[in-house]
Amino acid sequence: MKQWEKQREHLESEMQEHIDLETQENIEAGMSPPEARLAAIRRFGNVPQAGDQSREAWGWLRLERLGQDVRFALRTFRKNAGSTAVALLSLMLGIGASIALFSVIYGVLIAPYPYARPNQIWAPAVLGPNDAIHGWHWYTQQEMQEIQKLPAFSDVMATQVKSVLLTGGINPEGFYGVFLTANAFNFLDVKPIVGRTIQPFDIPSGGEPAPVVVLSYGFWQRFFSGDPHAIGRTITVDDVPRTIIGVMPPRFGWWTNEAFWLPLPTDPKDISGTAVILRLAPGVTPRAAEQQLNLLNIQFAAERPDDYPKGKLRTVLLNYMDITTASGEMAQSLHLLFAAVGLLLLIACVNVANLQLARTTGRAREIAMRLAIGAGRARLVRQLLTESVLLSVAGGILGVLFALAATRLIVVLIPPDYVPNESRIIINGWVLLFSLAVSMLTGILFGLAPALRSSRPDLVATLKDGGGGATGSMHGRTMRSWLVVAEISLSVILLAGASLAVRGFVQVLRVDPGFQPEKTLRIDVTSPPKSYPAWQQRNVLDRNLLDSILHLPGVDAAELGNSGLPYSGWRSSFSIDGQPRMEGRKAGVALISRLYPQTLGIPLKRGREFTEAEIENGTRVALINESAARLWPAGQDPVGRTLQIDELGHPMKNPEVFSAPGLAAGVTVVGIIGDTKNDGLAEPTIPSIYLPYTIYAPPNRELAVRTAGDPLAMVNAIRMKARDLDKDLALGKPNTLNEVMSEESQQPRFNMALFSSFALLGLALAAIGIYSVISYNVSQRVQEIGVRMALGARRGDILKLILLMVGRLAALGLGIGLLGSFLVERLVRFQMFAKTSFGVVPLAAIVLVLVAVALLAGWLPATRAGKLNPVTALRHEA
Amino acid sequence: MTREETDSQLELLQGTLDLMILQAIAFGPAHGHAIARVIQQRSDEVLQVGHGSLYPALQRLLRRGLIAAQDGLSENNRKARFYRLTAKGRRQLTAETSKWQRFSSAIARLLGPLPDQNS
Repeated sequence: MKQWEKQREHLESEMQEHIDLETQENIEAGMSPPEARLAAIRRFGNVPQAGDQSREAWGWLRLERLGQDVRFALRTFRKNAGSTAVALLSLMLGIGASIALFSVIYGVLIAPYPYARPNQIWAPAVLGPNDAIHGWHWYTQQEMQEIQKLPAFSDVMATQVKSVLLTGGINPEGFYGVFLTANAFNFLDVKPIVGRTIQPFDIPSGGEPAPVVVLSYGFWQRFFSGDPHAIGRTITVDDVPRTIIGVMPPRFGWWTNEAFWLPLPTDPKDISGTAVILRLAPGVTPRAAEQQLNLLNIQFAAERPDDYPKGKLRTVLLNYMDITTASGEMAQSLHLLFAAVGLLLLIACVNVANLQLARTTGRAREIAMRLAIGAGRARLVRQLLTESVLLSVAGGILGVLFALAATRLIVVLIPPDYVPNESRIIINGWVLLFSLAVSMLTGILFGLAPALRSSRPDLVATLKDGGGGATGSMHGRTMRSWLVVAEISLSVILLAGASLAVRGFVQVLRVDPGFQPEKTLRIDVTSPPKSYPAWQQRNVLDRNLLDSILHLPGVDAAELGNSGLPYSGWRSSFSIDGQPRMEGRKAGVALISRLYPQTLGIPLKRGREFTEAEIENGTRVALINESAARLWPAGQDPVGRTLQIDELGHPMKNPEVFSAPGLAAGVTVVGIIGDTKNDGLAEPTIPSIYLPYTIYAPPNRELAVRTAGDPLAMVNAIRMKARDLDKDLALGKPNTLNEVMSEESQQPRFNMALFSSFALLGLALAAIGIYSVISYNVSQRVQEIGVRMALGARRGDILKLILLMVGRLAALGLGIGLLGSFLVERLVRFQMFAKTSFGVVPLAAIVLVLVAVALLAGWLPATRAGKLNPVTALRHEA
Repeated sequence: MTREETDSQLELLQGTLDLMILQAIAFGPAHGHAIARVIQQRSDEVLQVGHGSLYPALQRLLRRGLIAAQDGLSENNRKARFYRLTAKGRRQLTAETSKWQRFSSAIARLLGPLPDQNS
């Protein structure tokens, strides 16, 4: 820059010198000094122009002009502070909201995993002829080893999750321990932050694996406060001291982000479920791999018919990116929200376009004047473009700031169970690039159209025209009117979407769950498995625990079991004796103790409850819910009849779970209890079968306690009772059923919060848009209004004139918007929250709100027009 | 006069002016004013070029490397910028000059002896 200034000075002095020399010559030729100077300048010609053209040759002029344009643009912005602020605000909200949501989508859907090449990880699903995909298949270790031999796969890893007990600390605590094959950490390829990961030498073939453990970041922080010296220390998992060898980074959340990973013992006789994931060998297509695996699955099915679907088998490889926890409701929500935020951005762009259009039209005379005195068209367009790009870049920067705050808010709102463990929502480089592109594009697109148009005006007409006459800007006015109509219709669509989300939320809240979640505590209980190595011993412990809790003052009822509480669920295929078997139909199976109906507040409809003796012996009796009862033909009483629960007939796969002696599939129905919303509040009830919990004796149980007062106040008393029985009995983190229920409404609440805020932002932007267009319109029609008043129009007439204009625009926008809303509703009907439809009341409310907002936005300029003095108005030149 | 017309006039002039500048400094370095004077005299004051348009042309020639500039003192002992031909400029001058000469003799043959003009 310095050099350029210098060069410029040189040139100027050189030209000055030239003129001086010429002057001197003229004097020598006999002219008087002033005359001589004048002649010299005349001979030289246009000094600044010569300078400009000279500097153009250097190539610097572009930059110089850019500087000029920027300075000029800033001056213009200052002069129109109001409309500039509106444009910036629109851009900030529109761009900020889209960045924030795009960040969430990027973190949750596009790049949720820290694992190497996650889109090349596949999980197998095995299906019967008519099955829909419902999750992946569980193999045994031996089967996994067979799969490893297939040429289609380059790498196969397996995961087993078991509940384990951590002892040796202040309180014993149950965890879900994740057991991994030796190649797992290399398969996933994530580096530990401290120490090392489990390596093949930790699991010698045929021998016991080394007693090592890799901690999750969460566990490390909680138990070791992030101390790097934790490496080499031991923790006791299921009575075995294990050496800590490494800590994974926070994002590594393979099946857990609060526990730890352990080496999976190689045991060909282990028949517990193993989740297998695969990487394809180079050049192998997923289809070819599916065919190879299917042949193997047919062999497996012949050996273990109970664990494979019946009929002709189909094998499907699911891409890991498609089976995240976010792939269901959350993905749908985010896609819809992305559409919503797109509409919001559109409204913001319309606002900016509107303001740009108003500004350039308002400056038509200035532009015509500049053209008339010789400004180049390209130069003018460049200057107008500079203004709009400057505006949008500033808007983009503000948008990024807004996005930072908004993203933080969304992260707070987002239900944790609906996004993968591993996802991190931050504003990243891609998102910033996206926002920059959006803001620049908006600026160029909506700056260029008005710029091109206004630089080609009919000079004479514009200069003659008062600058604001009705004729000159007719085209601009209709275009702006259409933009307002577009804004109104877009915000109607947004509001309609928000009303759906609100209805979805309210509906979830209003659902009668069929049980009473108030004042009920829920705690996971884990007993040390090696201390109670038989069915009988576990039952004694469980019964003693339940009894001591029931005797606590303040406890109304208590119940112990598995999968009977919302929303844990164990499903089994079943058949009703005397009826044809229905393939693929499953019932919920729950293990409960005697006071289950009282504890949860579920009414007994027919028959009787379990007896204490039935519970103690693990007798094969059953309570069923009303949905299950309806499976019997009308008029047939299910009480006293029998049914077969397939799972009970299979040998228990988990060696740590003991079955009641003589367990078989057949059970007898003794009673019917009320239906509960056992598959989620928005889902229909599934048939459920309740069995005495002693049918199985696993180390872990769920405890539910109905209390007279505050349920959380009972936690300590319950802990004391548990410790009295066995100091290693672990009680998990307690929560109330009310909390569990509110987790159910998290997704609808998230939808509602985001949709409503987007809709409100849209409405605000639209209102600003209407206001600025109408007030601009009024200021352009001052002369016309003056004429009308001079001809006898009264204030009321003028007010009516303006408000009528607003009303017409609002009506048109509402019509189009409502039409669009119904189309959108048709499109999203299959989405979860759109199971509701528009109500008359919300739609009427939307219409009222929009009309009110439009009239309010039009009112200020209208009253201003009404207050005009006809004389000044007539003289007015915009 | 619109901008487009000035542009086309300038364009027509540009090549000629460039050639005249190169010619003007063919025998030795000269400063802007001297160049202007030379052009004026040699063209018998027929080509009325505004002296101002000399400077954009000089900057263009500098950029194309046909001339070089150096600071020096003018005849009345004042600081001035002197322009001289470069090797490239001299070649350009020779090429352009012969082109112009061929062109002008062709024009002269084509037009032949002029009929009497009504003056």
